[in-house]
Amino acid sequence: MNFLSAVAVLKTATIVPELIVILTLVVVLIVDLVSGRSNRSLPTLTNLGLTAALGAIVWQWLHPQTSTLAFLGTFDSDRLSLVFRGIIAFSALLTSLISERYLLQAGVALGEYLVILLTATVGGMFLAGANEMVTIFVSLETLSIASYLLSGYTKRDPRSNEAALKYLLIGASSSAIFLYGMSLLYGLSAGETNLLRIAAAIRHPELAVVLAMVFIVAGIAFKLSAVPFHQWTPDVYEGSPTPVVAFLSVGSKAAGFALAVRFLVTVFHTIEPEWHYVFVILTILSMVLGNVVAIAQTSMKRMLAYSSIGQAGFVMLAMIVDTEAGYASMIFYLLVYLFMNMGAFACVILFALRTGTDQISAYSGLYQKDPLLTLCLSICLLSLGGIPPLAGFFGKLYIFWAGWQAGAYGLVILGLVMSVVSIYYYIRVVKQMVVKEPQEMSEAVMRYPQISWVEPGMRPLQVAMVSTLVITSIAGIAANPLFGIVNDAVTGSRFLQASVSPPVIVQSLP
Amino acid sequence: MQVSLDAFLVIGAALFCIGIYGLVTSRNAVRVLMSIELMLNAVNLNFLAFSNYLDSATIKGQVFSVFVITVAAAEAAVGLAIVLSIYRSRDTVDMEEFNLLRW
Repeated sequence: MNFLSAVAVLKTATIVPELIVILTLVVVLIVDLVSGRSNRSLPTLTNLGLTAALGAIVWQWLHPQTSTLAFLGTFDSDRLSLVFRGIIAFSALLTSLISERYLLQAGVALGEYLVILLTATVGGMFLAGANEMVTIFVSLETLSIASYLLSGYTKRDPRSNEAALKYLLIGASSSAIFLYGMSLLYGLSAGETNLLRIAAAIRHPELAVVLAMVFIVAGIAFKLSAVPFHQWTPDVYEGSPTPVVAFLSVGSKAAGFALAVRFLVTVFHTIEPEWHYVFVILTILSMVLGNVVAIAQTSMKRMLAYSSIGQAGFVMLAMIVDTEAGYASMIFYLLVYLFMNMGAFACVILFALRTGTDQISAYSGLYQKDPLLTLCLSICLLSLGGIPPLAGFFGKLYIFWAGWQAGAYGLVILGLVMSVVSIYYYIRVVKQMVVKEPQEMSEAVMRYPQISWVEPGMRPLQVAMVSTLVITSIAGIAANPLFGIVNDAVTGSRFLQASVSPPVIVQSLP
Repeated sequence: MQVSLDAFLVIGAALFCIGIYGLVTSRNAVRVLMSIELMLNAVNLNFLAFSNYLDSATIKGQVFSVFVITVAAAEAAVGLAIVLSIYRSRDTVDMEEFNLLRW
């Protein structure tokens, strides 16, 4: 078989976005190697490459294929995976924009950082479409190992070291547990690794399938940082470089949700009540613990860590109602979460760059010195809390509406109560910044430097901040295009359609 | 003598449990890495046993365990690099000493 026919049989065109990211990665690596440390074009190259990858994703979206399975069934490029790959690539693009100045100020090399970030992106993008266990494992580990390296990137900082070590040890053991579950599935299906074939082979709900499900869910819940698999999250978020935290909280989490939906819905449809039951427990614990513990935090990064645990709880709520509206609201929420969370982290980075601290108390009186930063952080935090008319409000509304329609009354009421709790701690930060009298200003704000955007790497940060601010403000009001995208993603995905309308599943199985 | 599939699975499960035990009790970071390695080897044993008894035609399980070994090597390399850099800054690899961040 010659090269061109192999390309045609494998349908290599489906992974063009990933290929572009890999090409960018190699180019960045080589340019960094050849031109030496003084080269300033590396972030620009990275941004161009990621933009091109996003363009390829949009092109694929506009030209849908009749059969989406590629690489002999190991990779599924349906619309669901396209949306998730878009979210991951976009979060990498925003991360690269907000990290340049941070890395320059921290005095570490840019080249390797961008290469590792792109590696993590490739891993996450492949994970979003992986439909076979070996592919899932390898792409999951590509994402994870790159994330460990990123979280330990400022290697002279003992806190960053410690975060990386904790992340690695917990991450590696959870992926071993995940693998053990996969080995059980391999045996139960009598030697299949493709998710669709495993689903066809395990028709009878036995105890061993439930056991495998528990192992798999434990592995996935670590990636989602769902309570009680969340202990690593606050430590890693506090110790790691802030741009890395931004990527972990959006890109890595989106990849985890893509994996969760595809794996659980495809393979475990015979024991759906059982895995839903496990996920209901995870959802309740995440929403309650994430939001309640966030109140007590004094570090902004740690507060955002707990808030991201709570936010993951809301997204899991949307996932387990298992209706078309549920999945659509989940993707919609992840889309708006991408912008509001990235915006919040961009502001936290900017504040830390100008004052050198992450403490919440240091934000008091910021409005007097830096109105733009205050506006942007306030909008993003209020949107995370779900205040109308910002994007986060519509995301939450859609989730709760979908849950109510599906009859999950208890979960929706708990979710509403916990949103109120979350509004409390988000508003507390906003109040610190806005309503404090000038004499109550914190020392960090008193010594606030003259605002300037001319230092190298400041412009990208400003672009990221302002664009996320604009999108967070208007995405809720002008949400119709987004609704169209998420509905297409759900209706254009075969395995989700099979799940939400059970009669079809019997006919579609081979 | 024919060994049954169950024997391999029992050994795999035992190895996995030993790995988890080591993970929970070890104080030395390198020992924790070794325990994780044990868990991955338990997984490999499972895959090889299943592939031999149930899937001897296409041996996907053996291919899978090659991937697991490769990735485990990469993970161990990254893990040891991080342990090395933390040893340089803190002069210890004792897990109980790593308390800059609230555990």
